Order: sequence, then C-alpha cells, then structure tokens
Amino acid sequence: MRSGYRQIDHTADLALELWAPGEAELLQVAARAVIEILTESAEIPAESSRRVAIDAVDREDRLVQWLNEVIVLAVADGFLVSAAEISLGETSLEAEVRGQADASARIVTELKSATYHDLLLELDFEPEPGSGPDCDFERARVRARVVIDV
Amino acid sequence: MGCAMNRTDGRAIMNFEKVDDYRFRIPARGKMKAPGMIYASERMLDDIRQDRSPEQVANVAQLPGIVGHALAMPDIHWGYGFPIGGVAAFDEDEGVLSPGGVGYDINCGVRLLASELSRDDVVDRLADLSLELHRAIPSGIGSRSHRRLSNRELKQVLRRGAEWSVSNGYGRERDLQVIEENGVMDGADPDRVSDRARDRGRHQLGSLGSGNHFCELGYVAEVYNPAAAEAFGLRQDQVTVMIHSGSRGLGYQVCDESLRTMIRAAQKYKIPLPDRQLCAAPLHSVEARQYFAAMAAAINFAFANRQMMTHFVRQCMARFFATSDDALGLDLVYDVCHNIAKWETHTVDGEQRKLCVHRKGATRAFGPGHPDVPAIYRAVGQPVLVPGDMGRYSFVLAGTDKAMQETFGSSCHGAGRKLSRKAAKRAARGRPIFKELRAQGVFVRSDSKSTVAEEMPEAYKDVADVVGVMHRSGIARKVAKLVPLAVVKG
Repeated sequence: MRSGYRQIDHTADLALELWAPGEAELLQVAARAVIEILTESAEIPAESSRRVAIDAVDREDRLVQWLNEVIVLAVADGFLVSAAEISLGETSLEAEVRGQADASARIVTELKSATYHDLLLELDFEPEPGSGPDCDFERARVRARVVIDV
Repeated sequence: MGCAMNRTDGRAIMNFEKVDDYRFRIPARGKMKAPGMIYASERMLDDIRQDRSPEQVANVAQLPGIVGHALAMPDIHWGYGFPIGGVAAFDEDEGVLSPGGVGYDINCGVRLLASELSRDDVVDRLADLSLELHRAIPSGIGSRSHRRLSNRELKQVLRRGAEWSVSNGYGRERDLQVIEENGVMDGADPDRVSDRARDRGRHQLGSLGSGNHFCELGYVAEVYNPAAAEAFGLRQDQVTVMIHSGSRGLGYQVCDESLRTMIRAAQKYKIPLPDRQLCAAPLHSVEARQYFAAMAAAINFAFANRQMMTHFVRQCMARFFATSDDALGLDLVYDVCHNIAKWETHTVDGEQRKLCVHRKGATRAFGPGHPDVPAIYRAVGQPVLVPGDMGRYSFVLAGTDKAMQETFGSSCHGAGRKLSRKAAKRAARGRPIFKELRAQGVFVRSDSKSTVAEEMPEAYKDVADVVGVMHRSGIARKVAKLVPLAVVKG
C-alpha cells in the first residue's frame, strides 16, 4: 500500500499535502512529514516510546492535534517520533509512538504549530488518473492538506 | 462604485468601494455584521486580492459584537483567522474574544534603542561588532536562554512581565515607562498557562527565536519630523538597535491550546464560524476569561523576553566599546506589541465605549494627548515602530488623532512577505546572500543560511509603500527612517 506527502508553496508558511490508503496511515505519514522537515530527513531510531491520547471535536481537529503533539514532543521534550501505532475512535486517537529521546540537537527547522487554515481531510478520495504528484497518489483513498505556522 | 463578490476557482475576488485614495470598503453583505475597510494604495490592491486576505477581513466582520469596521492596515496579507494587519474591536457586552485575532506568537513585538553613537563610530567595526552581538544574544532554532527558570520564577515572569526582568538586573527602571502597557499586562494568571506551555518557554526567556525575529543595529538615515524625532530622542546618523521577538514556544502553545477550547466554545455558544481559526467565545464567558488570562501571561513573557535581550545588547556594546552602557545611552525609545487583544476605551459615534481591541500584525498608534502615551511623548503621539526587511529600511512613526478616530488607534506593523519561504529559498539557490548584503553595507550573522535565504530582502514587500499609506492617510506620521548596518537573524 502506498502513501506519501509533498510540500506545497504557501506564502508565509508551510503547507503539506498528504495521502494514504486509510486515515491511520495518513496520520503516520503526517508525523513522518513533520519529523523529516524538523530534522531535514535524518534517520530516527526507535529507541523508546511514549503514549499519545487525543479527544478531538472532529476528524480534521484530530489531524491538527496529532500533528501538534508530534511537534511539541519534538520541540519541547526533544522526542522525535519515528513510528506510530495508531488506534482511531470516531474522533479520538490513542497511539504508541516510538522514537528517539533527548534528540533536540537534531532539530534544524522551527515549526510553531499545525493550523486549521485551509484544512482539508477527504476520507473517500477518488484521485483522477495523473492528478497527483506520482503514481502512489492514485492508490490513495484518504487525502489531507494542512498548513503549518513556521 | 458598486461592489460584487465573485468566486473564481473557489476563491473570492472582491471589488471594493473606493472611499478615498487610501481607504477601500468592503460593504457588509451576507453574514457580515459590519463592513470591512482596507487601508492601501490603488497600486497595492491587485496583490492584496491575490492572497484572499480581503475574504479574511469579511470573515472577521461576521463575528458577533463587532464595532465599526473590520479593519486591515496596508501590510495586509493572509493569516490564520484574522488577516495579518487585521484590527477589530468588540463590544464589551455583545462581543467576542478570538485567539485568531491575536496570533500564535502572542505579543510578538519590536523595541527600539537609541544610542549616543553615530554611524561613523561603528561603520568600520561592523564585522566584529555584529559577531559580538551574535554571541551575546541567544538566537536561532531552539535558541535557549542563558538562564533556566524555576517554576516559581516563571510564574513571576508571567505575572510581572518586563518589571521582573528589570528587578532581576536586566535593564533600567526607566525602561518600564516606555513600553506599551508599561511592560506588564493586567489580568495575567500563570495558572491558566499549561505545564506544556511552560515547558516550551522555560528555557527560552531572553532568546530571539528564529524565522523573522532579529536584532538589528542601524542608524537614523533620515528625519522627517524634527520635533517628534527630538521628543523620541532620535537624531540624524544616530546608531540604533531594534529587537523583534515575541513569546516563543510558550505563546505558541497557549494559542494552540486556546484554539481547541474556543472551537468547542464556539459550538457551545452557537457562534457560526466562517473559518475555524476565528473560533471565539463571548467576552464575559469562562472560556474567554481563561484565554485572556493565559494570553496576558504570554504577553508578559514576551515583554520580559525583549527586556532581557535589551540588557544583553547593552552589556555587549559596553564591552565592545570599553565603556559603560550608560555612557553609550542605548535608551529605550519604545516597545510595541503586534499581536494582542486588550480592553481599551474609544469614542464611537460620539460615545465613550469600552471595547476589546484585537490587533493581529498591527500596532497601537495612540495620538497626542492620550493618557496611555508616555508623558515624555504625549505632545507628539505614541512612537510606532515599523520594521522592514534586513536590506532596506525600517521606520519610526507617531500615532495621530486620525488613528484614534478611524482605526481604534492602530497602524501597520511591517512589510509583509512577497515570496513564500520555498520560493525565497529557490531564488536564493547558488547565491551568496551574506556577501550580497555585505556589499550593500549590511553584516548579517546567523547560524542558519536557510533562514537568511527565507528572510532575504526580496522576499518582502517594500515597507516604504506600507508606511507611505499610513502617512498620507494621516493614520501615523513618518518621524524617521532607519537603515540597517548589522543584523543578527534567528
């Protein structure tokens, strides 16, 4: 199954387009995107783990809160997520995230917060052939766009 | 002139009603409870239409209890909720408080120091002086304070703002007289700031941060209003220092958490939201009071932050010039907030009203005689500091009576981006940006070439255009132009 992300041009900040076969995978892609941006694609070992729990208003809010958890774990706690096992309720999330602790020195970009601006989450996405950045996109069924304040 | 709101490719493209050469109205229609008003020149309008920021002005006008117009200053560009450059005031009984009208970097702001030095005293020593300033001020991604705060100390910072810094040896008593709100926002409650927000900020007090934050050594290149310049302590060729920074990770976290609370509050109080980033709660609700208390604490953190860095600049320059910082002057001219919401009294239709004024990428610009303007400036109006990009210039303006009448005493705050960060990096690829700026007479010190590329001058609009609109419209009068000599970038 294929999934991925790309950065979209956005005047002041950073916008991501994400795609995946399902929502849990999309959230994993989102976390990977954030960590790769924060560290300029450093390899992150899965040495320790944390638990994350989110109770959101809706799925879009959950995506933003999830990204902000990943950002805050990195910038405040120095914990860089490299993998996540995610269980989703209707609007809730529980996850065990694995990654590297005490890794603040590996962060080379500042991200402030994921935002609700221009937020998009499509759960039954039907891409048109050739409409995406590469052929992986056409296997996607979940698509999202999120802007991150930098 | 009529107005139509057309949608093309899902974006609203707006025609405006021209009020005069510098004011363009968006008439109230649909769910707007008030009209919008954009301060701009005719030439700026095409760019303004491109990024959907007028749509954001119209969105703000949908919020309950809005008084007068939903305003935008000429540095308007899209933001989160409010546009950058957005100003809106809300009735104390019917109105709302919105974190989207304050921003993530709560009390991002700028302050200006004026020295006894002249340009000739520094121009041949910029390489070394800029290096020393870079060493003296923690800057860059994840920049950390020289000082680790205990929980008790952090609470004091959140309550007392700049006064905490001065009491702990970072600065002069008289600094507090020339800071907006005297450097401390009433109503702060440190207990409303989460552990996580405190953890994000604990190590960051007295640090610049990154992105568009900076410490800039410059000089007064031109004086437009000699009387106001004299009142502000500014003179031709004088060396100045400008510091631009905010509440760091603590403020971002307060905003992030407050958005979640306010999204639920908007549902609870049945406030329709055209944009989730405009989530809000009635001013006297529990949610609004709690956000205000946390916001005020973050505001105080930012005041304390800029005050500490002021002390580092003074110490550094005293060492460099082998004299005392008193001998160098380096007096604080003023410190202004760009991202804030606060209670103010304004005259509306002849009546004095207590309003909650939100300024998001906008600066207070109170006019002559206002009791909140420091006594030494009261005859000429409040200093308004408007930084430009690091290659060209910044401006000092003075607030006016017209600002009090038209914009709730508000003015622009900066230039606004022209290129996205990605586009700026692309444009900078293969170019020696540091050398290019040095060839223009500006020494840039930064640990991040990437940040300097993103922040290069051509990534920004020309702040002279923005300031020109404020001046010609009478909202804020030009006092002086500052030209950069050395910049420490985060």
